Amino acid sequence: MQNLTDNVLMMKVKSGDLDKLGLLYERHKRKLFGFFYNLGNNPSVSEDLVQNVFVRILKYRESYSGDGAFAAWMFQMARNVNNDHHKKISKERIFDGIAPEDVMEGSDDGLNETMDQQGDAIRLKRALTFLPDDKREILLLSKYRELKFHEIAQIVGCSEGAAKVRVHRALNDLRKIFLEMEML
Amino acid sequence: MMEEEKFELLAMDFLAGTMNEVDAKAFEELLLNNPGYKERFLVLKEGWAMMDAMESPEPSNQMDGAFYEMLNVEMEQQKKKTSNGQLPAWLTDLIKPQWAFGMLLLIVGLTLGYFLAPSVGSRPEPQDMVIAQNETEEVRQKLVLTLLDQPSANQRLQGVSEANKFQSADSIVIKALLQTLNRDADVNVRLAAIESLTNYVDNPMVRQGLVQSIPNQESPLLQITLANLMVALQEKASIAPFKQLLKEKQLDTTVKKRIEKTIESII
Repeated sequence: MQNLTDNVLMMKVKSGDLDKLGLLYERHKRKLFGFFYNLGNNPSVSEDLVQNVFVRILKYRESYSGDGAFAAWMFQMARNVNNDHHKKISKERIFDGIAPEDVMEGSDDGLNETMDQQGDAIRLKRALTFLPDDKREILLLSKYRELKFHEIAQIVGCSEGAAKVRVHRALNDLRKIFLEMEML
Repeated sequence: MMEEEKFELLAMDFLAGTMNEVDAKAFEELLLNNPGYKERFLVLKEGWAMMDAMESPEPSNQMDGAFYEMLNVEMEQQKKKTSNGQLPAWLTDLIKPQWAFGMLLLIVGLTLGYFLAPSVGSRPEPQDMVIAQNETEEVRQKLVLTLLDQPSANQRLQGVSEANKFQSADSIVIKALLQTLNRDADVNVRLAAIESLTNYVDNPMVRQGLVQSIPNQESPLLQITLANLMVALQEKASIAPFKQLLKEKQLDTTVKKRIEKTIESII
């Protein structure tokens, strides 16, 4: 199945077979969208940011070496895209994210579950918005199991051990906020 | 007691399933013998499960449209660059006499090798290649369907031209092209759809679809194009819809003559 790996496809894109980017897009669009959305961007901004990631992948395709996992390279770009976007909007003083108080029932995305489960899903999203940006980011990177801890570490710029400890502590913080919100 | 950080590292490795069997067993024992650690691990596991359960909405079709449009533009630019560009440096190197002689020897060698090698051509195509090709076709199918659904006529035209790249189009693409032929507001897009469908006239569904679209066409250009195509195909099933079209009062006189001629030549 060598022909189908992300790395091989990306090497083909690098060598000029741009068609193959469509396959990579289809494989990763949902994960990237979820990453941006759960980082607090609204759906329409999240879609724009996904598009920006693929524009950058095309622009910097020559720099892809194929040494590490494609997903790690892609999420590194996604992180930069998100940071650049937030730098830009903070300069322009625009708020286009989701404030904790805006994560409400009814504005949810059709989770077809019981009311209790829906309530939990909404509370969890709210809890995530209360976490500091760096903790939220590392949690979301670890959510997609295809990234190994050493790759997450590379993306956020720390050691592998530090990445594990950070994820551990962020998970505990998230749960704590979640339970506190349940008490309210 | 173990150091705080060491426990955090071990717990994450255990949760992520990256621990080897021996270490995993030792960690399980640690949890069994230390209720405090066990409780902390269960709390962590709960947080991990919460993250797993977290969902996000589905991205919209516009995102696909924007991506494929961007990719298409990039591919077009690349094509232009390669067709307009000068000879690349490696190619100009090849033209040097000593390289040319070397190349000649290589070609002779390859030709001899080709004829002397036992039936290389009969080797089965690797399965991976077939799968990759299928996957590319799937993406192209998605691209065609997305482009045909765009509000801009230019993009829909691009969609039809993408459809021409299929080695053999499946029924979904054919249906989309027939729908374009019958419903698209732009005459150029409809014309391009006919042109694309002519690649598959051996398919009965395409022939039937083309015949059924005759009464739906109001543009003289399309009516004449379909008439010419039906003559070329000698499609007898088209006679009835053409006769029906002749009853239309607003039918252009040139078209009327052309259709009468078509009916005659098919009969």
